[in-house]
Amino acid sequence: MGEPLLTTEKLSNHFGMVCTARDLDLRFERGVLTSLIGPNGAGKSTLINLLTGHLPVQAGKIRFQGREITRLPIHRRVRLGICRSFQIVNVFPELTVAQNVMIPVLARTGRAWNPIRSLSRETAVERETEAFLGKVGLLGERDTPATALSHGDLRLLEVGVALAAAPTLLFLDEPTAGMNPVERVRLLDNIRQLAREGRTTFVVVEHDMDVVFSLSERIIVLHRGEILCDGTPESVRADAKVREVYLGDDVSDLFRYREE
Amino acid sequence: MKAETRNACAAAAVLLALCAVPFLVGKFTTYLAMRIMLLGIFAVGYNLLLGQAGLLSFGHGAFYAAGAYGLGFFGLHVSGNPLLGVAAGVAAAVLLAVLVGTLCVRHTEIYFAMLTLACGMMVFSLIWNAREITGGDDGLIGIMRAPVSLFGGISIPIGKDGQFYFFVLFFFTLSVWAAHRIRQSPFGLALAGIRENARRSEFAGVPVRRYRLAVFVLSGTFAGLAGSLEALLESNARPFMAHWTHSAEPVLVSLLGGLSSLAGPLVGSAIFVAMREIIQRFTENWMLGFGIVLLVIIMGFRGGVMGTLSALFRKATAPGER
Repeated sequence: MGEPLLTTEKLSNHFGMVCTARDLDLRFERGVLTSLIGPNGAGKSTLINLLTGHLPVQAGKIRFQGREITRLPIHRRVRLGICRSFQIVNVFPELTVAQNVMIPVLARTGRAWNPIRSLSRETAVERETEAFLGKVGLLGERDTPATALSHGDLRLLEVGVALAAAPTLLFLDEPTAGMNPVERVRLLDNIRQLAREGRTTFVVVEHDMDVVFSLSERIIVLHRGEILCDGTPESVRADAKVREVYLGDDVSDLFRYREE
Repeated sequence: MKAETRNACAAAAVLLALCAVPFLVGKFTTYLAMRIMLLGIFAVGYNLLLGQAGLLSFGHGAFYAAGAYGLGFFGLHVSGNPLLGVAAGVAAAVLLAVLVGTLCVRHTEIYFAMLTLACGMMVFSLIWNAREITGGDDGLIGIMRAPVSLFGGISIPIGKDGQFYFFVLFFFTLSVWAAHRIRQSPFGLALAGIRENARRSEFAGVPVRRYRLAVFVLSGTFAGLAGSLEALLESNARPFMAHWTHSAEPVLVSLLGGLSSLAGPLVGSAIFVAMREIIQRFTENWMLGFGIVLLVIIMGFRGGVMGTLSALFRKATAPGER
């Protein structure tokens, strides 16, 4: 495998008295499709927020491809190759689908600063934008304003905007939330396909256990800001602690654990 | 494509009409047309900041004043060449905009607006109080309109209003063209992205703060150009150019005409200047009349004049296209 893509060293975060990340030492290897799971409040989103620069790091270090990025601003991390999608749709509402995807393409290729050249002349950018739209299945909606899209299509666009930054490491925060089964299967197929192509390494937060176990090569289970279990889907499924807090489909188990 | 051709035709027709103005109408109307173009330059640049990037500034009068005083000082102490003078005025405005912008773009929304207001008022009181340098409340007077000399040989007089009109028209056309290009450019799209969702823009790899500074300085450049032209038109530079009431003018004009189009602030400028002239004939309190119009626009026609017109146009043509 060689050098890990991203590592963290004693990464910690507190919201007041609540600990959402405690001394996390993590390694993400290139090309390993990883899922991040855990009960609500386990610190999944916090972890993504810390790694992508959404939240300032209170303690610990983050390295990306050997380079320390702990204090880098968001856009610099994106340029280095770390991007994310959001749990709640977070696109450019009044812009068209194509424009939404074009912004990260322009920024990445360093063309977004040009104040004189007409956008309609940027044929290379346009072609690349259409390729990304094709990947998420939104080519037919290219001139629709984002506000006019259905919920499922918005979720696809959300992922499309993240993909268009052509990240090396992409965090998807509940990419299929609120999608219908057809859209969900399509998106997951796309993610698998893109993961196989190997340019992007995916880390996915999911609640649907079927999705998690069918998709991932590695699963990290977080609980109260700590790593409860980290390994292959089989080893996670077999883990007693994980069963106790999480799986087994029994919600009352979860509650009992929390009250202790 | 079709809409583009239509817009280009409309722009050409307006430009042609503007060329004819000084030959068709009287001196005073020509003067008013110049005032409209000056406010238009100011507002079309300002709307890059407000309409495109979504930042509300109440301090752009300061850059307008920087343009006027920059041209004034250059004219009084260095050279009377109006082209060099305009360049000096614009340079002064850019310098000030970089200074003020660097401070202000660290914040957004109300904090940004209040910081720009504060900076603008500081500039105003500096001009007001530095009487030895700026002339204080009298302003900088006696700014001359020397002929424009090009490449040493050719010399074009701009002393008369009918001649100066074309000087203004040249810069007005240049400004509108530049604003148009910026709105259609990758940079313009990035600004729209920042307006729509600043956080997501960062995650798209756009350095948001630097873009905000860039558009702030850009809009300040337009303000400086308008200011330096007004100094030439009125033969003076006045401290009230930097006052916050003047900074509010491009905001009002943009709202009146519509924030979302290039033509919006231009149409707004024309209505603003014309209304001021007409209402002032009947009453001193022209702001009362203007306030009522603005009230109606904001409560009933959010898109401004141009937004409402284009919505009507779309409604009228939509059934035929289907």
